[in-house]
Amino acid sequence: MRRVAITGIGHTIFGNLSDFDLVDVMGYASSEALDDAGIRKERTIIDQVIVANMGGCFLNHQAGIASSLVSRLGLEPAQAELVENGPASGGSAVKMGFAAIMSGLADVVLVTGGEIMRTVPGWEGTDFVASLLHPEAEYNYGLTLPAFGAMFTRMYMERYGLTERDLALLSVKDHENGEKNPFAHVRIPCTMEGIYESPDANVVNNFIAEPLRLYDMCPVSDGSASLIMCASDSPKMKYFKNKKPVFIVGVGSATDTHCVHERKDPLELKAVSMSAEKAYKMAGVSAKDISFAELHDAFIILEIAISEEIGFFERGKAKEAIQKGVTRITGKLPINTSGGLKAKGHPLGATGVSQVHELVKQLRGEAEKGRQVKDPKYGMAVNFGGFGNNVVTTICSKE
Amino acid sequence: MIIDELEKKLRPPEILLKLYPPKVITLADGGKMVVREAKREEIGVLLETVHPLMGVPRDFYDIVAARMYAELLGWFRYRVANEFVLVGAINGVIAGIVNSRLVDEKVGMSLHTLTINRGLRIGAQLFAAKMEHHLEFLGQKEVWIVAESPIGFRRWMIEYALENREHLFPDTRHELGGVPTYVLTRELYDAVKKDKVSGQRPVPQELLKTADVLKAPEEYPQIPGYKRSKK
Amino acid sequence: MKDIDFSVYKVEKPEVYAHKCPDCGTLYYPVPMLCRHCGARRDPSGVFFSSWEKVPLSGLKGKLLTWTRVYALPTGFDDRYLLFGIVELENGLRASGRLLVEDPEIGMKLVAKAGIVREKVGEDVYGFMFDRK
Repeated sequence: MRRVAITGIGHTIFGNLSDFDLVDVMGYASSEALDDAGIRKERTIIDQVIVANMGGCFLNHQAGIASSLVSRLGLEPAQAELVENGPASGGSAVKMGFAAIMSGLADVVLVTGGEIMRTVPGWEGTDFVASLLHPEAEYNYGLTLPAFGAMFTRMYMERYGLTERDLALLSVKDHENGEKNPFAHVRIPCTMEGIYESPDANVVNNFIAEPLRLYDMCPVSDGSASLIMCASDSPKMKYFKNKKPVFIVGVGSATDTHCVHERKDPLELKAVSMSAEKAYKMAGVSAKDISFAELHDAFIILEIAISEEIGFFERGKAKEAIQKGVTRITGKLPINTSGGLKAKGHPLGATGVSQVHELVKQLRGEAEKGRQVKDPKYGMAVNFGGFGNNVVTTICSKE
Repeated sequence: MIIDELEKKLRPPEILLKLYPPKVITLADGGKMVVREAKREEIGVLLETVHPLMGVPRDFYDIVAARMYAELLGWFRYRVANEFVLVGAINGVIAGIVNSRLVDEKVGMSLHTLTINRGLRIGAQLFAAKMEHHLEFLGQKEVWIVAESPIGFRRWMIEYALENREHLFPDTRHELGGVPTYVLTRELYDAVKKDKVSGQRPVPQELLKTADVLKAPEEYPQIPGYKRSKK
Repeated sequence: MKDIDFSVYKVEKPEVYAHKCPDCGTLYYPVPMLCRHCGARRDPSGVFFSSWEKVPLSGLKGKLLTWTRVYALPTGFDDRYLLFGIVELENGLRASGRLLVEDPEIGMKLVAKAGIVREKVGEDVYGFMFDRK
């Protein structure tokens, strides 16, 4: 039976790479993956390239990026397509790679996600991301993704009694993990005293969109991540002798209404639960089988909300798990061991691929000192597009 | 010291300035930054700190460092009137420097903000401390502001809702480059104070002591691989 | 010579509209291309199918579901901050919009007004501005 094996992974540092060209940065991460897989000289065995990127046209004035990447890496005549699904572009690219292999259209696929967003000032970056919103009913007002994250957080706090302190606890945990991740954008730890308890916390951790503060939101980052996948029953598997393969065993995605206000219960993230259900079904597992997860915490509230939607915790109860330290690396169910989007960073097109990169790293047992999950079997990544209107879930397993 | 007659002519008339009461800010990583006024005698370590950044063209560091270097020397050598310098020090090591001067009792002219440590909003908080000194402790009415960095400037314009005096140019102009200026009045400052001005007073004795002797930083995130040459 | 339709020169006052499905009467804000209930089609040009009747929404009362005060605004906005909220209107429709209230509270009663929410080259963009009265 054909399965999809991930045989190589690559990643750049996430941070300020605005001096570099977008496709060069993606080429760098892809080359890291080629070296990791041990196929630099044999790279033309790749028959499909899938690129994930959201802002190429808008911010970098480049289109047809997948074709550019092929040439940058000398991979002609491989098939190549770009996948754009907002912040879930990476997850969708992984899903399309999986589909290409399972359908027989390709045997070896290179999936690379990347973004160079820091070439423009903050307000333009915000405007660009806001283009995900409904043009008439949301974008025109000057509404932003953080504004929706904030309104969601306020409703959540009102309904489930979540406090600013709970959010700060999460931020400290994510920064702790990010500090140990050499690719992370933010490697300075933060303390409860600094961001919550001290009388200076209101200034140091200022409001961006009430009630969300600076330390509740991911930074604006540049970077790229890359994966190489191969069909398990292909003769080309013989080229991948370097590392033990990790398998994609479940994928699923779903959509919800474009406008947040059109959802019956704005606190219910249906696209998250549905995509997770599909992935669980395909993998033949359920929430309790998952050893660790990368959950899309562009706003820290999402780490909480997503973990509840996918069945890790009962609705409203995730905060108790956080308070008890269940989601720390040393806990029973580590979440965002990479630092999450909060500390690792969030180059829009790269994130979904970077999440799966972390799944592979952990399942291979290759995570850095202090960051390795003990004996993981199944890892899960949830990549959240728009404000929850398009979500992709991927489950990987060690065997 | 007896001052030479000609030297006296070259020194600007001075207003006696009240000293900035030191405060301590708890940064996001738990570190404590003491913010206090720098003394004239500390000119050596200040210049030493600023100097390497003159070679960093990125983010306007080169021009800000070069201008601040000149302003610090002007302050030290009595060739700039009514200037004050505030430093932020973490364990005695300088993390950022801001300087500014008074035109007269009512009007302040903001000069520069130079931050070495990144990622902890030190620059923003030192800038706010500068405004705190002008408007609260020195009792001024307003401070004139410009910036070298267009991005940095737009942030101040919006975050402080600065008053636009472009239409009064050229009668109202900022002395740095003679450009049209934006102004922070006491009223505007009071409206944003609680979100902008941090720090607690008085500073506990042990913390204040750590900032007694200022040290120049050993590393500059802006200059990878920097090594200060040993004397 | 055919009579000129002078109504095209009428100066519009700001308004926000819901659209009504011509077949089943369901109201929508914003308007889709197919009715979710009965599948009726919409043709924005009005040439082949109806472009659907526009129903003005200003003046309607509503309840505040959630809100935020945003400091980091996108390009084109010079304000220090703006307030936004999601409101449930008395006719069952919901909408996101600007709040003109300085100290909002979830559940508070508001009235929908229409105003200029953004200025674009050559046009003013109208949208909801929710206020106390």
